[in-house]
Amino acid sequence: MSNDLQNYIPLLMSFGLASLIATTLLITSRLLGPRIQTREKLMPYECGNDPVGNARDRFSVKFYLVCLLFILFDIEAIILIPWAVVYRALAEELGNKLFVYAEMMIFVATLFVGYIYVWKKGVFDWSK
Amino acid sequence: MTFQQLLFIGFAALVLGGGIAVVLLRNPLYGAFALITSFVGLSALYVMMGAQFIGAAQIVVYAGAIMMLFVFVIMLLNVRADEERPPRHRFLVWLAAPLALLLSAGLWLAVAGVQGDRAPSGEAGTVERVGKNLMTRYLLPFELTSVLILLAVVGALHLAKREKE
Amino acid sequence: MVPLSWYLILSAALFAIGAVGVFVKNNIISTLLCLELMLNAANLAFVAFSIFQGTIEGQLFVILVMAVAAAEAGVGLAIVIALFRNRETLDVDESSLLKL
Repeated sequence: MSNDLQNYIPLLMSFGLASLIATTLLITSRLLGPRIQTREKLMPYECGNDPVGNARDRFSVKFYLVCLLFILFDIEAIILIPWAVVYRALAEELGNKLFVYAEMMIFVATLFVGYIYVWKKGVFDWSK
Repeated sequence: MTFQQLLFIGFAALVLGGGIAVVLLRNPLYGAFALITSFVGLSALYVMMGAQFIGAAQIVVYAGAIMMLFVFVIMLLNVRADEERPPRHRFLVWLAAPLALLLSAGLWLAVAGVQGDRAPSGEAGTVERVGKNLMTRYLLPFELTSVLILLAVVGALHLAKREKE
Repeated sequence: MVPLSWYLILSAALFAIGAVGVFVKNNIISTLLCLELMLNAANLAFVAFSIFQGTIEGQLFVILVMAVAAAEAGVGLAIVIALFRNRETLDVDESSLLKL
């Protein structure tokens, strides 16, 4: 095994532990738990009331627009990480802290325009 | 065969299996989940190559954001599995498999003999290296990316929003 | 060590699968999923060349491709929603006319 891949052994162990716990919980509950099925028990759970209508109903398109905003900020977050990691070193190398700061702030400001636009268009107004 | 090559074959099988499942499964929701396994395999391959940042971004952006958008739209439109139906052009079905094989063979021949200039090192794709290049030499494409995403959000909002009646 | 050609063959196979999927799928959402597959095949080739040549440009391009893929998915799925609203179908063969 090459040297640099050895760093990922803890990650592998955490994956293994997570899947071990998940499978153990599923298998033990199946083996040990009593299974008495009644009609009420098999009903879909809806906060204690009797379920109304089909669960596979269509959603409002508003959820899609909120999803779109999530993508906006997701990409912003993943781009912010390398910037934050190199900020100090780059500011020293270029001798100009403000420039490195402004680079990212222009990026964030552009995306923020999109956020304000979506807000003004009434996506967050759930009553409409 | 070294351990790394075995690891590559395992992840490549995950990637290809996910990809084939996307094409074969009739329900788009299952296809989306198969695509997520394919992305996870790709992310592991990136990390194996030493491109740690791309591997992380693959999970966060592709498996996290883009696939979530797909699954959401599938739920939103309440898409069911495609029903079987008679193909309109029957001869095209028989043409498809040979052409697909031809495409694969052509691509294979094009890339099979390529040699790398140097051995990959673990430092090739660290977050520091990516960030430093992104913030200095390739600043303009980086800033323009934000404009692209802004345009996409504005356009998608107008397309998806229900017009007032 | 895994040679460069292995990564490229995997990328080529993934691209071929995606291309076949784009051609054979009827559901427009499945077509978009196969499109993502093709983009990822290109990404894999970019990263492989970038690593094996010791340059960084390929990886920066992949970041750009990811942003483009997000934009493409956002606008493409918005078009799908608008299409479904007007036609009540997701079949690409059913929506071959510009006007209803």
